[in-house]
Amino acid sequence: MNAVGRWFGERVSISGDVLRELTNEPVPNHLKRWWFCLGGTPAYLFVVQIVTGILLAFYYQASPSTAFESVRYITEEASYGWYFRGIHKWAATLMIAAVILHQMRVYFTAGYRKPRELNWLIGMCLLLATLGLGFTGYCLVFEQLSYWGATVAANICDAVPFVGGFFKQMLLAGDSYNERTLSRFFVLHAAVLPAVMILLLFVHIAFIRLHGVTELRFPDEDQNKPKHFSFFPDHFFTEVIIGLLLMVLLSFLASVVPVGLGPKADPLTTPETIKPEWFFYVMFRWLKLFSGTFAVLSIGFIIFAMYAWPWLDSLIRKITKREECSTWIGIVAVLAIIGLTVWEALAPH
Amino acid sequence: MNLQTKRTIIFVLGLAFLASLLLVQWQEVVRREEEAGLTVTPVSVPASSERCYACHKSSSPGIIAHWEGSTHAEKGVGCVECHQADERDADAFLHHGATIATIVTPRDCSRCHVTEAAEFAASHHAKGGNILASLDNFLAETVEGNRVPFNPHSPTPGMDVTEVNGMASAFTGCQQCHGGKVALTDKDGNMINVDDLQPDPETGFPTNSAAVAAIAKDSNGKPILHTGTWPNTGIGRINLDGSLGSCSACHSRHDFSPRRARQPENCGKCHLGPDHPQKEIYEESKHGVAFRDLRDKMNLDSKTWILGEDYAQAPTCATCHMSANSVDRKVTHDPGTRISWTNRPPVSKLMDTDANGKIIDEVDPVLRQEMLEGGISHQQRRANMRNVCMHCHTADYVSGFYKQYDDFVILYNEKFAKPGRAIMTVLQEQSLITHPKQFDEEIEWTWFYLWHHEGRRARHGASMMAPDYAHWHGMYEVAERFYQELIPQAREIANHAAVEGREAEAAAVHQVIDEILARPEHQWIGGGEPPPPK
Amino acid sequence: MMGESSGTQTNEDRRGFLTRLPTLGMAGGLLAGYGSFFGMAASYLYPAGNAKKTWLLATHVDNVTVGNAFAFQSPAGEQVVIARLSSGQKQEDFIALSSICPHLGCRVHWESQNDRFFCPCHNGTFAPDGAPTGGPPKTANQALIRYPLAVRGNLLFIEVELTRLT
Repeated sequence: MNAVGRWFGERVSISGDVLRELTNEPVPNHLKRWWFCLGGTPAYLFVVQIVTGILLAFYYQASPSTAFESVRYITEEASYGWYFRGIHKWAATLMIAAVILHQMRVYFTAGYRKPRELNWLIGMCLLLATLGLGFTGYCLVFEQLSYWGATVAANICDAVPFVGGFFKQMLLAGDSYNERTLSRFFVLHAAVLPAVMILLLFVHIAFIRLHGVTELRFPDEDQNKPKHFSFFPDHFFTEVIIGLLLMVLLSFLASVVPVGLGPKADPLTTPETIKPEWFFYVMFRWLKLFSGTFAVLSIGFIIFAMYAWPWLDSLIRKITKREECSTWIGIVAVLAIIGLTVWEALAPH
Repeated sequence: MNLQTKRTIIFVLGLAFLASLLLVQWQEVVRREEEAGLTVTPVSVPASSERCYACHKSSSPGIIAHWEGSTHAEKGVGCVECHQADERDADAFLHHGATIATIVTPRDCSRCHVTEAAEFAASHHAKGGNILASLDNFLAETVEGNRVPFNPHSPTPGMDVTEVNGMASAFTGCQQCHGGKVALTDKDGNMINVDDLQPDPETGFPTNSAAVAAIAKDSNGKPILHTGTWPNTGIGRINLDGSLGSCSACHSRHDFSPRRARQPENCGKCHLGPDHPQKEIYEESKHGVAFRDLRDKMNLDSKTWILGEDYAQAPTCATCHMSANSVDRKVTHDPGTRISWTNRPPVSKLMDTDANGKIIDEVDPVLRQEMLEGGISHQQRRANMRNVCMHCHTADYVSGFYKQYDDFVILYNEKFAKPGRAIMTVLQEQSLITHPKQFDEEIEWTWFYLWHHEGRRARHGASMMAPDYAHWHGMYEVAERFYQELIPQAREIANHAAVEGREAEAAAVHQVIDEILARPEHQWIGGGEPPPPK
Repeated sequence: MMGESSGTQTNEDRRGFLTRLPTLGMAGGLLAGYGSFFGMAASYLYPAGNAKKTWLLATHVDNVTVGNAFAFQSPAGEQVVIARLSSGQKQEDFIALSSICPHLGCRVHWESQNDRFFCPCHNGTFAPDGAPTGGPPKTANQALIRYPLAVRGNLLFIEVELTRLT
């Protein structure tokens, strides 16, 4: 053992102490409370997605004539194909849910305030990248809803003034869904967006290391206790436990609520009901509420406002001289999101 | 929460993860098992039939689709393999470079299915076409129709009818079950069938060149089949090559589905109705009830379909009469090998057959035994059937059933069938009626109803455990027909003859009837009260 | 929070084992769960029924006489020469060889007068069992691909692949 260790030590000049120093960032005590681990959850799920995504890519063929058949092969013929596809799908759902919860937690604990504004921006980018992955992933199945969802999304892009047409062309590789469209979605889903996410995650975590985690105090804590505990192994174990819990949950969901296969995309027949994935319900309902260009522009404005929130928040605080304004705005926003989502979920069309 | 606790939790959760994966693996195993039965073997078009496939895919997509679902398609047996013909065949023609024939006969099927064809050829099914000379056929050809075409008597608005085809009932009614003589047409529209062609028994090629020369052909050089005789998938079809029968009667073309042949509906195309309601009888029986209930579990798609191994939920017609079982491991295409009584004739006979497959009518037991040499005894046939029964019933139970069945058939034979036949015989012997098959006297219809409809219903009901058919649709109606119609009508004919001065003939008839009614089983009707049951 | 040790243990060995037990258990649990997961991944990647082979009817046994051969085309487009070697009724009496020369892919044919398969491109020759006897195939020791045959009743069946890349 020692010989091997020496061999490595001579070539990789990182001592155990440095490693310990690197990994053992002191973790604030509040992270002993489980709900503060929501940031680690999407990170873990992202790893799950990479692993299962690579597995799926072994059989997936991104071409309109073969895509559906290859997904059918994965689901029906390959050993455990249905399981890995189920995990991929359910992990995507959970990942988006966890990202949203993580963002809400950061928001309500005001974790975006100075000096952490930049990390909020990166977080926003990660949110959009996650939603983009959700959208492109769904398009790849090449079911009816994949095809028509993509068509509808492209036409929503088209409604943006001036640049909309360009974006639509870029998305579909043409005026409408064609033979070269699907490979775009595939490259976005399997290469561009994951690469972007890995980079952003790296920066995201680097910022956390730089700033340290926001420290929160709870009234029931003993003031004399140490304010931090070590990342390794204590917090690491927590994350391992969460990872295992997630795996059990995902396996359970994948086998109890298996991911099926809808009718194959048919460019000649629009299905009676088109509904996107649940995480787009908000946008979908919003688009139904307002006419094309206004709806698109208002969504653009809301996203911009979300990006700019750390500065908007400080502006509001300066003007109102009150701290809890952001909380009230947040509550209203969350209620609106839940309301629109439930409305869309219950609406028959 | 300290580290040790966390470690323990990780240990437990790791096992939970493993357990959930075991659930997944179990599901995978179940899925594989389910799929194993459903796996669609990819189908390939054999090179020999690629050209047929290319055209017929659009001209008759149904035929192609049926074939694609067949075992033939899985095994590379295409169109040509079955439809190929020799240019010497009477109905052969050149079709886009291939010499083929429309009708695929058991001789064609026997190229591959040797055993099945031989069994079928030995069966009563193959001889279904023999009806062509029997009394039922007289009914359709003469009583219901007319042996020669006749003129219409008033116009049919919308259609120019110049001639009424008197054989229509026989063609459509009798021959679609029993099979007809397939015929080609000559230049005058007359039939050219197996009798004219005189096919060589070995090859099936016609030997009568004059008949072959007379065959009319259409503009493509295709021999024209007589529309009265084709389409026809009757089971006893008499083919141009001299072979008997039609495999598609049960194994519908072009998917040749064993699944379908295993189900009672398949037999029900013909085995139903007032004269032989086997299908209805089966449906009434506990066997049919169980099948309806458990059909989904009968493993009907299984490659082998062995009773006691592949399924045991319920028997279908095929189960008892044809299919393989865990004792008799081979399916037979001669259902008669498991039938011990024939209930087809007016008086039931035991199925002792000689070397030629003919039922032995000899009375002397020693001679009977000699004639059985090379044939099959009814005991052997019954033993074959018992092998089936014993999968679900005990030996005593089966023996008890056969005792009940034998008693019933013998009761019918002795109390009504033989006396009825004696009355009809004496009437004919005394020249008081014409031949009973001429249907020109009321009593001939009466007698026909008695044995051909009601008598068979009763016996079939007893043979397949349908009490209502044995009794109300059966023996009750037999008895009513016998006492209330046959005997009064026979006596009336005799009385009528006496009035006309034919005293001796009348007396002979009365004597036969009196002798019958004097028997203990008939006494109840003469002396008022029936004897009390013991 | 509980203390790291209760202090009641006196036996050092036993205590060491007990403290190590959760670590070992943890490692075991992780290994069991994730190991099984990646085992399933391996089984997923292992090709499942890729090459779909099937037994197809080649001909009736009596249709081919001793010393003669006929061409059979498989659904995947493989050209197979099926020859009858002897008058028996078993599969050993027949042979099915690919008609594609292993040298450069030309079509070989059966020369009954010379009792050999012959490739016209570079004069390659093969024995009736497909073994190379002359020409470039002999030099490279490349035999003709042989297909499995089976006789059922009076029928000759051949096992070939059903699909090919298109």
